[in-house]
Amino acid sequence: MTETQAPSALLPLPYRPRRLPWEQAGIYALGVVVALLIGGVAITLVGGDVRSAYATVLRVSLGSVVGVGQTLNKVTPLLLATLAVVLSFSGGFFNIGVDGQIYLGAIFATGAAFAFGALGLPRVVLIPAVLLAGIAGGALYAFIPAVLRAVFAVNEIFVTVMLNFVALFLTEYLATGPWNDPLAGEAITRPIPGGATLPMLIPRAGTHAGILIALGAVVVVAWLLARTVLGYQIRAVGDNPRAARIGGVPITVITLFALTASGALAGLAGAVEVSGFHYRLILGLTPGYGIMAILIAVLARQHPVGAAVAAFFFAVLLVGSDSLQRSVGLPASAVFVFQAVIVLTVLLAEALRKR
Amino acid sequence: MTLLFDPQLFRLTLVVMVPFLIAALGELLTERAGVLNVAIEGIMVVGAVTGFLVTFSAHSYGWGLLAAMGAGAVIAAVLAYFCVTLRASQLTVGLGLFVFCVGLGSLLYRIVIGVRLMAPQIRTLPPLPLPGLSSLPGVGPILFTQNALVYLALLLTAAVSLFVFRTSWGLRLRAVGENPRAADVLGIGVFASRYVFTILGGALIGLAGGYLPLGITGTYSDGMVGGRGWIALMLVIFGRWTPSLVLLGALLFAYIEALQFKVALVAKAVPPQFLLMLPYVFAILVLIKVYQGAAAPEAIMRPYDREERA
Repeated sequence: MTETQAPSALLPLPYRPRRLPWEQAGIYALGVVVALLIGGVAITLVGGDVRSAYATVLRVSLGSVVGVGQTLNKVTPLLLATLAVVLSFSGGFFNIGVDGQIYLGAIFATGAAFAFGALGLPRVVLIPAVLLAGIAGGALYAFIPAVLRAVFAVNEIFVTVMLNFVALFLTEYLATGPWNDPLAGEAITRPIPGGATLPMLIPRAGTHAGILIALGAVVVVAWLLARTVLGYQIRAVGDNPRAARIGGVPITVITLFALTASGALAGLAGAVEVSGFHYRLILGLTPGYGIMAILIAVLARQHPVGAAVAAFFFAVLLVGSDSLQRSVGLPASAVFVFQAVIVLTVLLAEALRKR
Repeated sequence: MTLLFDPQLFRLTLVVMVPFLIAALGELLTERAGVLNVAIEGIMVVGAVTGFLVTFSAHSYGWGLLAAMGAGAVIAAVLAYFCVTLRASQLTVGLGLFVFCVGLGSLLYRIVIGVRLMAPQIRTLPPLPLPGLSSLPGVGPILFTQNALVYLALLLTAAVSLFVFRTSWGLRLRAVGENPRAADVLGIGVFASRYVFTILGGALIGLAGGYLPLGITGTYSDGMVGGRGWIALMLVIFGRWTPSLVLLGALLFAYIEALQFKVALVAKAVPPQFLLMLPYVFAILVLIKVYQGAAAPEAIMRPYDREERA
């Protein structure tokens, strides 16, 4: 867990194109099939009918305009969270605290919406202000593990995990305490002013403009990692920190930047969820987007464009499992099992093939 | 001030120390063999749910705890296969298994218990006063009127310490974690050792998870492990891979957790969420100290490959 670790063991997967795309596709398909089989067993065990359950999953997630619209709404936070993970993983930093940074982004965004909304600012000013506040919230929160790692060599995994719990309790405090909506009787805050809400992209399907922000972020992160000196330095540190240091890469600066920027992306996800989807801060704003993002980043081999594809697929699973929660009563976090099974199967198949 | 030295607080400290201590000892054995088990939090979740479900169905603490250990061992065996045999990245596989276990916990609970208005409950482990010792003034009620797992955890600490530092098996274990090539040359089974200690460690981590519903809450709920696994992972570093220092760290964190319960009863003006944050904030502060001069087993996270050039 120290800096002297072999980087090959630290980095989950290299940022490199694969040789045989069809073979890789076969491995992914295998992962999906195994997950579907295990999902079928789980659905049967809770007393549901597998065939109709899977038909429902497809119908609600992809079978209608509204379904696709809702799936796109889930892609947005998943994709932003995945980019956050991709950016930090590329530098060899394990940001497990994306969920906490999403909450801080959501808290800052909600606070900004309340504060600036009260001033009666126009929408064109208010929305960017809310999003920027979210970015700042996530970035500041990730700055804590960044400084601890850069200055005290404290492993960021522990710090980010601990901060997840702190963020959760802070959200609960705000949502039940000072910002609580007395009419709701739940851990949710008052709604943000209408001027602070993201416009609709497909009004008929309820899809907000967040997906455009997320796709824009894909382009920015892909460009940053592949085409800039900064991105090159991040990947150099991730590949081999010692070589990077000897080669003159300012490790401290890169550490601070990679983790803080990762938090900024997570914070943006939180702001988009508040401004585009929930219109308020709620406890349970992230059902573990940060955790799923780790899996997606592994599947996508830390490639931003691959991440977009994998995030879409995970969003289908998420919307589908939401519907299974209502129809057959699968618990909400059961989706973790299916998502993890896909990743573990892919890792298994890849490791076996390498032997 | 009387609050900080309350005998009840010390008693509670030992009760909540058990999961930290047993999980950290399991992780210590695993890491001493050169494997990092980052699925620890997830294995505790699976241990908690199996421990609860089996105790609830079979009306037996013994079977519940054994089932928790078995479940932990199975997950750890999967990790070992990936990391020892297939030489996959221990962090990636560990995190994947962590997520898997978190989902599996609530899925298993839902499959066995179903949807109920009232969460089913079991009675928590009864205190087991040690004859003679429990009537000692002062320490008697604190140290010797505890549930069986508190004694077991303390005995286990001594046993692991003796094993690692005072037996030839322990020396071999350390060799495997420090320099697997040298160990292999000496005829020590590197792969077998890594399997054995990863699985044994997983069983202990599962046991620590199983203790949560059996020893503390009496119920199972999602998120009940609450980062204790991650803290246990940290305690191994805090304790410099040494059981006695791990015990010290477990006591420290248990004290903070117990204190937070006590303060919540007294300081009603403070929002409870801020008290609940305490152990996590404390952990971050401790981390700064923990990482100064920590030296992990040399070969940790490095898969051993016989055919690799030295």
